[in-house]
Amino acid sequence: MMRSVIFLENVTLHFPKIKGFVSLFVDLIKKRKTHFTALKGVNLEIKAGEVFGLIGKNGSGKSTILRVISGIYPPDEGTCKVAGKISLLAGLGTGFSAHQTGIENAILYGSILGHNEQEMTEKLPEILEFSELGDFINEPIRTYSAGMKARLGLAVASAIRPDILLIDEVLGVGDPQFREKSKARILDLVAETGTVVIVSHSFGLMKEICNRVGVVHKGELVMIGTPEEAISSYYEITE
Amino acid sequence: MVEPISNGDVVEVGLKPPLIKAPIYTIKEMITHRFLIRNLVVREVRGKYRNAVLGYTWTFIEPALLALVYYFLFYMLAGNPDELYAMWVLIGIIIWGCFGKSLQATVSSLTRNKNTIHLVYFPRIVFPMTSVMANVVITMMSCFVIVPIMIIFDLPLTIHVLLIPASVFMAGFLATGVGILLAPLNCIYRDIEHLVRFIVRAGFFVSPVMWTYEMALDRGFFGEVVVYNPMLTPITLARHGLEGHATTLPTSIILWSLGFGCIMWLLGSIAFERYERRAVKYL
Repeated sequence: MMRSVIFLENVTLHFPKIKGFVSLFVDLIKKRKTHFTALKGVNLEIKAGEVFGLIGKNGSGKSTILRVISGIYPPDEGTCKVAGKISLLAGLGTGFSAHQTGIENAILYGSILGHNEQEMTEKLPEILEFSELGDFINEPIRTYSAGMKARLGLAVASAIRPDILLIDEVLGVGDPQFREKSKARILDLVAETGTVVIVSHSFGLMKEICNRVGVVHKGELVMIGTPEEAISSYYEITE
Repeated sequence: MVEPISNGDVVEVGLKPPLIKAPIYTIKEMITHRFLIRNLVVREVRGKYRNAVLGYTWTFIEPALLALVYYFLFYMLAGNPDELYAMWVLIGIIIWGCFGKSLQATVSSLTRNKNTIHLVYFPRIVFPMTSVMANVVITMMSCFVIVPIMIIFDLPLTIHVLLIPASVFMAGFLATGVGILLAPLNCIYRDIEHLVRFIVRAGFFVSPVMWTYEMALDRGFFGEVVVYNPMLTPITLARHGLEGHATTLPTSIILWSLGFGCIMWLLGSIAFERYERRAVKYL
């Protein structure tokens, strides 16, 4: 029996609404709700070695679940427990600095993702090779095309080897060849990493790699099942 | 499928040690993330002087030009100032600038980095600390402007010149405590940012930038009040260091300023750790 590595127990998360003093005061008098509930009582247990998918409409709370797991937003109610080192792949190239070279940005982004100096030195050759940037790697990143930036971002992000990997819609960048290559890379990463939670709108991919899929709707985890079950239930719910 | 995880302790996400330990705990976090902090500081320093022909020389051209302006202003208003007056103003501008810029950068550090905060988790104390360190590094570079000044005015180079870098650190330290205290609040109400900008402008005149501690001493009541300004110590120490003698500032004033910095650090780090998670939801 595999043990569980991610536990979400009754996780509820509120986001405050930003307001001026006057409307804040009005709300206080009228006792109106001053927050928006992003997640409502989410229960989820993910086992070691499992590839778990999350599907749902835009704004349903899929990404928010990943952010709770990775520690960006601590839950307001309930608890979230994990075992092992977590890494969230989202928004490739966060924190890139346009005026530094590709190499410098690779190191910067790597350190943002949680690498220390030694790991970064070890992984740099692999990153540079995968990014296929050639001599461009020594040019400032402002000279890069969007696709090149995305390639560098994916190269750095996919060099990490966490215990638990959270992937938030990072596929589908660059030209078709690179897209194939990046998909293969992510699949490798999924195979190598013990546990993966993936958010994607690509149902084909979900069927291919996921053991279980959960459907998120309006902040609630409405069902968990095999990929096929989940996808058909997704269409029923969102009709 | 791969073997399950090696280190198997189940831990609750985002648990923090008790708040009372925050002042020490945040320092430990910074040491753990030193590689990240160094890279972020480099990014900020590089970003500041990008695409400038004169590049890093702007770090000392800017205070030098400002000092020149204030020198003429003072010359016209008061007439016949001390020949070292321009230099006093210059060093005052540099040290006050370090404090002011660090404070403004720390207060807005969470709001400026909101994209990173939404996508990656690492201890958020890293953001304000990076801002302070980048400003301390830039100020250190601008301190090289004193080399030609020391030659022109024939000032003795003594061990006391070390008071200048010490004052830069002190200015940064004073800004840190106040800055991290306000940074989470600024996520909720950006008004804080505007308020701090005003305070930095006003503080320029209340602090010994255009005047010196010695001038204030001759003004009776005013001289008694100004010693309570924590920024009096770093600016005056830097001036004494530049003149090449041990400081004549009473120890009690220096201790008051250091104590103020430490208390602000205690309060600031506790408040930051307490409120940062709630505050980032407003970003």
